[in-house]
Amino acid sequence: MGRIPRSYLINRLVTFVLTILIAATIIWIIPRLSPVDPAEIALGRMAAGAGSVANSEEILAQLRANMGIDQPLILQYFKYISGALVFDFGLSTAAFPTPVSTLILNALPWTMGLMILSLLITFFIGNLLGALMVWDRSPKLVKVAIPAAMVFTSIPPILSGLLLMWIFSAQLQWFPLTGAYSIFVEPGWTWDFVKSVLHHGFLPALSIVVVTFGFWALGMRGLMIGVQGEDYVKLAEAKGLRPRYILYRYMIRNAILPQITAFALKIGLLIAGQVLVERIFAYNGMGKLLYDAILNQDFPVIQGVSYVIILITALSVFLVDLLYPFIDPRIRHEAT
Amino acid sequence: MTQPNDMPLTRAEKRQARRFRQFDNPWLNPKLIWGAGLLLSIVLIGLLGRFVWDLDLVFTGSSPLKLPPIGFENLRGQSGVAAHPIGTDGGGRDMLAMIIVGAPNTLFVGLLASLIGMSIGIFLGFSAGFLGGRVDDTIRVGADVMITIPPLLILVVFQSAFGDVSLTMMALLIAGFVWQSPTRLIRAQVLSMKQSGYVQMAQLSGASTSHIMFREMMPNLVPYLFGSFIASVTTSIVTAVGLEVLGLGPQRIPTLGRTIYEAINAGALIQNLWWWWGIPTLLLGIIFIGLLLINLGLDEVSNPRLRKLS
Amino acid sequence: MLDHPNTDKPVLTLKDVSIEFPTPQGVVQAVKSLSLDIHKGRRVGFIGESGSGKTTTALAVMQMLAEPGRVSGGSIDLGGTDVLALGEDEMRRTRLSRVAYIPQGAMNSLNPVMRVEPQMWDGIIAHEGAVDRAELKRRSDAALHSVGLPLHTADLFPHELSGGMKQRVCIAMGIILNPELIIADEPTSALDVVTQRQVMQTLKAIQAEIGSGLMLIGHDMGLMAQTVDELAVLKDGALVEHGTVQQILEAPKHPYTRDLISSVPLVGGESFLNPDARAQAPKRASSEPLLRFENVRKDYGPVTALHPMSFTLQGDTPQIISIVGQSGSGKSTMGSIMLGFNPPSQGKVLFEGQDVAGMNAAQSLDFRKNVQAVFQDPYACFNPFYRVNHALKFPFKQFGLSKSAAHTQTAMEQACQAVGLDPDLVLNRYPHQLSGGQRQRLVVARALMLSPKLLIADEPVSMVDASLRASILSNIYDLKDQYGISILYITHDLATAYHVSDYVMVLFKGNVVEAGPPKEVIGAPQHPYTRLLIDSIPWPDLARSWGDGRQDWDPAKLEAEAAQVPAVYRGTVPGFDLSTT
Repeated sequence: MGRIPRSYLINRLVTFVLTILIAATIIWIIPRLSPVDPAEIALGRMAAGAGSVANSEEILAQLRANMGIDQPLILQYFKYISGALVFDFGLSTAAFPTPVSTLILNALPWTMGLMILSLLITFFIGNLLGALMVWDRSPKLVKVAIPAAMVFTSIPPILSGLLLMWIFSAQLQWFPLTGAYSIFVEPGWTWDFVKSVLHHGFLPALSIVVVTFGFWALGMRGLMIGVQGEDYVKLAEAKGLRPRYILYRYMIRNAILPQITAFALKIGLLIAGQVLVERIFAYNGMGKLLYDAILNQDFPVIQGVSYVIILITALSVFLVDLLYPFIDPRIRHEAT
Repeated sequence: MTQPNDMPLTRAEKRQARRFRQFDNPWLNPKLIWGAGLLLSIVLIGLLGRFVWDLDLVFTGSSPLKLPPIGFENLRGQSGVAAHPIGTDGGGRDMLAMIIVGAPNTLFVGLLASLIGMSIGIFLGFSAGFLGGRVDDTIRVGADVMITIPPLLILVVFQSAFGDVSLTMMALLIAGFVWQSPTRLIRAQVLSMKQSGYVQMAQLSGASTSHIMFREMMPNLVPYLFGSFIASVTTSIVTAVGLEVLGLGPQRIPTLGRTIYEAINAGALIQNLWWWWGIPTLLLGIIFIGLLLINLGLDEVSNPRLRKLS
Repeated sequence: MLDHPNTDKPVLTLKDVSIEFPTPQGVVQAVKSLSLDIHKGRRVGFIGESGSGKTTTALAVMQMLAEPGRVSGGSIDLGGTDVLALGEDEMRRTRLSRVAYIPQGAMNSLNPVMRVEPQMWDGIIAHEGAVDRAELKRRSDAALHSVGLPLHTADLFPHELSGGMKQRVCIAMGIILNPELIIADEPTSALDVVTQRQVMQTLKAIQAEIGSGLMLIGHDMGLMAQTVDELAVLKDGALVEHGTVQQILEAPKHPYTRDLISSVPLVGGESFLNPDARAQAPKRASSEPLLRFENVRKDYGPVTALHPMSFTLQGDTPQIISIVGQSGSGKSTMGSIMLGFNPPSQGKVLFEGQDVAGMNAAQSLDFRKNVQAVFQDPYACFNPFYRVNHALKFPFKQFGLSKSAAHTQTAMEQACQAVGLDPDLVLNRYPHQLSGGQRQRLVVARALMLSPKLLIADEPVSMVDASLRASILSNIYDLKDQYGISILYITHDLATAYHVSDYVMVLFKGNVVEAGPPKEVIGAPQHPYTRLLIDSIPWPDLARSWGDGRQDWDPAKLEAEAAQVPAVYRGTVPGFDLSTT
């Protein structure tokens, strides 16, 4: 394997670092532009809990100092950025004094697990079906049933999630309505727990898979039509290669390349869609954490969750970019 | 493999002839017509509904609570009434009125955000393609960076900081995240068209840059621009609905996403109030299917090879 | 092997083969009742224009006709096997093992994500099942060796190979199972002449070695004459003439065959032009030379596409200056520099004394009006959105030549007639409704309407059908002869340059290697590179040896040697001055 060209690597690294920096900066600036004072929200919460608060001015000042918002803006900014780099987003205001990073760390495995499972399965199934729609030896069923089913795949996963939840959880009661595992089992590496996790995770994953596979299938179909007309596919047939071999090694292998690039571009939207699915299933991931934080106006958590999800997105894109030259040898030759 | 003896069926031949006729006018393909028809029906519900239905029924408490659509019964044994043909929600609002007001609002956000996003995209794409150099580098990296950031999360931060927003404001905010794809697309097209023979011919003809952009390049970009526009509308509506389902977005204006949010929060799924969340979901589904069909139809316009298959 | 190059056992028998394509307008007969035998060891050429059915016939033999095409009658017999009766998997096994196909688009025929070696192996495995890796390696190395490629080629990806190397890899793949018949579909159409000669020699030698039949599809009578034993001439799906090359070249019976033979321009042969009137150049206000290159050089990154070059074209009498070279010689770079599309890295281009790079708006418009171009690709030159008259009307108005709409219309019609087009038939059409030849004529008509002082013609006929080339070139020649326009003719085709030009420059890797009047430079070349080019052109002349042994003919070595020889200047013509320092 040849080495990845340096200019390509630098280009992608710059994009990656810029993405994180810009996202972090936007997330930091926006609340500063808002007329809402987080210290007052915290005070309001105390007041609501205790009925009334004496010395409210003093307490406000105290709260501001705790939150660090009495310092000069530029100092706050650098503190925030350097904190973000080590995942330090301060303390949650709603679940005071739990650090935001602890909350995120608890939610992250659920989100990542669901994401890897659903996004990868979707990508695999979608591309395979898209390829089979074009292949002239596919069973008739594939060519008739899949395009018809694909009409429904423009729908965002949140809507399919609602529908599946209603049918399978509320009506048929095959699956639990909410949560990532049953409250009656102790978390741990036990068979009961794993079973419970799979039972709870099935519907959220399914609601993502059923509606996004069509996106990949459609894209793959278009690319396969292009590849089908390529000279190298015709020569492969003239060489007497087996049809199935031509399909995998000549057609899909080439048509998949732009799909991988599309995956990198699309991953942000897909993760955002998943966050929403987590929210309606009250799945113990980042989506639920985000939704609860929005309800409680818990800014550090909102910022932290947004930052981490954007980081996951940017990291996935960067990984795809790093892998791409190994899948497409032409990139190694002519650096972009 | 074609065998010399297998004669095609007459029906198959007829179907083939029909397909061939579609080559004559690709804009008249059934997908495009169906898609446009579905979207148009949503717009018509909004437009005509205003005249035939009492829109004051969108206010909380204006109707009985949780009435089912006509022909159904709710858990309390009440059956649907003609005054509220598709039921009422848990806040005593008439679903039909909610939809007449809400569906066009949802479409409006999508269209406005994409129009602005497309305009930015066209401007930046042409600038990058034509000016090249530093400008191109900046725009290219900017678009690459911004395309990675999921709009939903930035907008969540924004809206939770600012509280209630208007529909237009939400559209503006979303527009800030749908310019990247059109920018990339137009830049790539402009770069390849710049090398094309007819643009060189126009240059030889002493054409100005604006003539080359708008008279030579733009007409050939139209199918791509349409496709990109429709994709932006889809992304914008998905983002808007996402925000609404998180309880953000306009708080007092009925939209399809807001209605779903309220339904989930009120436990409509467990109480089997399916019409409360189901009807807005169905309408959103129709909007998305309509957009998808239009996009597939447009694909066939700009890529004739697709026409042979379906 | 015991095979004689000419035995009587046919490897392929086509008997009354008819092929049809159902379309909405009715069934199109692509091939009509074609009968022909290809014998063992014989090379048979199928010649004809695009749409004559030659490729369709080949694909029918492979049973690879594109849908909805079908063989509607006759039989195809491959060495005793009825091809049409074979099942799908039997046909798959037959391909490559008994009939090999060498494709047209060498550029795109290899899987871009696979190295060369596995692409050779998968053909063997598909026919013989699992084969020992060492054995695979031995056979692929032997095949590469037999086409004269170094063994390390096996580890390369297709994008790392040149066009000629890719095509030789395709040949190596094709013969790896020793097929009875090789079908080569215009195997050299995308290659330079020098590479073409090398690839054809490889193909001939290897075909003789394995003793298979060869079906060579092409449109170039010269290449056919130098390669095949028998020739089949196809027109509109019918076989119009069939015989040995000797018979057909010396005594063609069918008028179409005679047309094909006479459309090949020959160096020193009869001219296809009739220079009767000599027009004066338009009166020029400036005494400055029309075009002047001052030490112009162009680099693309570390590569120098054009080494410093200086010349002066006076332009008082109209002339055609030819710039001849292979791809990568820098000739097209020169063209785009002259048009101001591509700024030189060093030096200046002066048009009537004015630096092209530093013109104000008015000067720029004047420059555009006076320097026009005809490009290689007539398909790309028209905006698909507009009717073709847009391309003629727009510049006419833009340069202020139009007095009224009626005047523009008359001017367009006259220009069309002058290039032999019927204005009623072409002007209101969309580009895709016209043929390549019609479009290219329209581009010439456009230039004529604007009556520039200088025309850059960059490969104006390389993408139009052979039979039309001569007439389009004479349209261009008329621009000089009757309208007094000076022309820079950029081409890879030495034979046409010989006929049309007043002065020829041969470019090799960005340097002029030989220059002078065409009778000297092309008629009696002195520089080894010019000789290499001319020797590589296949002419329909059986007496001329185009060479069969490829061991003694290595173009890479010859080119390297030629690069050492200093440029040769063969005299001057008045009005054009090439700096010889």
